[in-house]
Amino acid sequence: MLLIIVIVLVVACAALGVALAQQRRQNLVLRAGQAETEAELKHLQASQSQVIHTTKLASLGQMVAGVAHEINTPLGFVKSNVEVVGDLLDDYRKLVKQYDAAVQVCLQPVDLIFNADKASLDKLVKHVEEARRKLFEARTAVEKSPLLKDAKELLGDASEGLAQLSSLVVNLKGFSRVDRDGMDTMDLNEGIESALMIAQHQLRDRVKVVKHLQPLPKVRCMPSQMNQVFLNLITNAAQAIDGDGTLTVDSRVDGGQVQVDISDTGCGIADDVLPKIFDPFFTTKPVGEGTGLGLSIVHKIVKGHGGTIKVRTTPRKGTTFTVSLPVNVSGPAAAESA
Amino acid sequence: MPMTDAPATALRILMIDDESRILRALKALLREHTTFATTNPLEAAALAKQHDVDVVICDQRMPEKAGVDVLRDIKETHPRALRILLTGYSDLKAVLGSVNEGEVYRFVNKPWNNTELRDLVTGAGKIAREAPVIARDTLPQAEHDRARTQVGVLVIEDDTAVQQRLREILQPYYKVNFANNAERALQIMEQNETGVVISETEAGRSDLTGLLKALKLHHPHIATVVVTERANAQTAIELINEGQVYRMLIKPVRMGTCRLSVDSAIGRYWQLKQNPQAARRYTAAKPAPEGGSSALRLPAALLNRIRSLPGRLLGNARA
Ligand SMILES: Nc1ncnc2c1ncn2[C@@H]1O[C@H](COP(=O)(O)OP(=O)(O)OP(=O)(O)O)[C@@H](O)[C@H]1O
Ligand SMILES: [Mg+2]
Repeated sequence: MLLIIVIVLVVACAALGVALAQQRRQNLVLRAGQAETEAELKHLQASQSQVIHTTKLASLGQMVAGVAHEINTPLGFVKSNVEVVGDLLDDYRKLVKQYDAAVQVCLQPVDLIFNADKASLDKLVKHVEEARRKLFEARTAVEKSPLLKDAKELLGDASEGLAQLSSLVVNLKGFSRVDRDGMDTMDLNEGIESALMIAQHQLRDRVKVVKHLQPLPKVRCMPSQMNQVFLNLITNAAQAIDGDGTLTVDSRVDGGQVQVDISDTGCGIADDVLPKIFDPFFTTKPVGEGTGLGLSIVHKIVKGHGGTIKVRTTPRKGTTFTVSLPVNVSGPAAAESA
Repeated sequence: MPMTDAPATALRILMIDDESRILRALKALLREHTTFATTNPLEAAALAKQHDVDVVICDQRMPEKAGVDVLRDIKETHPRALRILLTGYSDLKAVLGSVNEGEVYRFVNKPWNNTELRDLVTGAGKIAREAPVIARDTLPQAEHDRARTQVGVLVIEDDTAVQQRLREILQPYYKVNFANNAERALQIMEQNETGVVISETEAGRSDLTGLLKALKLHHPHIATVVVTERANAQTAIELINEGQVYRMLIKPVRMGTCRLSVDSAIGRYWQLKQNPQAARRYTAAKPAPEGGSSALRLPAALLNRIRSLPGRLLGNARA
């Protein structure tokens, strides 16, 4: 899957390169042939949006992996627990039955006493003693049995698991806007939550997530693209942190702008690297790990929405990316692409 | 809940998962056994040894360490335990690692089926207690030389270029035979002692995985090395569970890896031949009866021939 994506990307890249070179040549030789150049340009834009599309698929694959794991884990223990609790209750019923039987034995002497002769009285006393002992044992067994406590604990886990599953579904709904590529109004905080959930398996236990999300006015945008922006930034942040660290996400309204900060306590970006990070295919990550498209896509989308993106970084300390979008966007150019 | 008065049949089971609620669920499910649980994969190997566990159940995706690596370590330090990988999502890399490095007994997906998992663990524990261990597959040089002149290596592959490549790699060292299809492969196995089968998953557009599974089901001491181009996680998992493949390699075949795999596969077969009881550790699961993709879709005639492959040519062990 990944290989195919990489191949597609490489091919797309080559196509871009070829198209670019061709376009240059044409510009030099045939300045008058503007119509043709424009056609080339269209083609170029088309292949660029093709690249965006394949990258979307790449993160879709990544998303499926993450989501499958996030779903199957709670599903695993919820399903198991519910069944096991059934078994535990059966076991408990057995204990209660034994207790009942012991009670019955205790009641027998009452009948016997009415026509007891002297000789059998001794036997009766023995019986009562024995019956009392049995009753006591059965009662202790019921009282001391961990079955109900265990069952309750398992059900507690199960209900937490269900809560986990339903919040996953809510978030997935947010993300599934990938299918609806059109303009919509969106609370960016929801996009952030969805992206955090999708990136969960990269953060898990290793990266602490701190959120300061202030209530935001809805922004007119392409939700699938904004989700992509947050996912790419969060993924980069997670990848920048080697071992333990913190990812902080802030959102606020400032003037006519909605602002989102995504900060990490990762490796930071060196001065000579910084100017290149938004270039398509620029990556410092090993082959197979980074395509170098993440930030170029982020940049394209944010610009398309009439917004801006800023970076502040200190090598070895961390990095903050700030995305700002105008609250009232009017029909962004981005609506055309992807 | 480690029971103090656990009956002798109670197994000792180690469970590793970064989600503590999975551990609690497994503990409750396997409550008739003595269970040890940890969310920290780094301490798993030590725990396995310390408690002399029979079975290990391990998650794949954990932040500190991948399940495959945990199981590989346990295989080294406490080889007696049978290893089960329990995972919510499995990419191909993890699956391949679990065969080639972790040598897992079974690969189980979350959410699991309680009855099946319980039975699986009980069966695995019994085997771990009763079947002798082959700690290392590599033979001493002299013995290895003897083994490779005696044990046949069968290659099932219909791509002539790949055949040629494998011939170059293997011919100088082993007694190799080549087959284009299942029919021819069986003919060879009926006539020659075959200890190692190297096979594609498909030949002449027909599926070979059924053959490999049936072979393992009836002759668990044969070591199968799957060399494939069409790798996908699902088929690979089935080949582990129902085919107990020894190694799984992705094309193009590399000389070094290929030789290494075949060498240790011969070592494995050779030792199982002398120690047939140990083969129980490598028994394959019966394929799911309801059909699905995992049923052995083999003609009855072929299946019969596999079943009645002569014991003398296959070591003396029988499933
Ligand atoms: N949060 C960050 N901390 C440190 N470096 C970063 C951060 N985000 C991006 N970078 C640097 O910018 C480069 C380009 O990032 P970009 O997201 O475009 O590509 P990538 O992450 O390398 O690959 P891809 O996103 O396709 O997987 C990265 O390789 C990395 O060097
Ligand atoms: Mg990136």
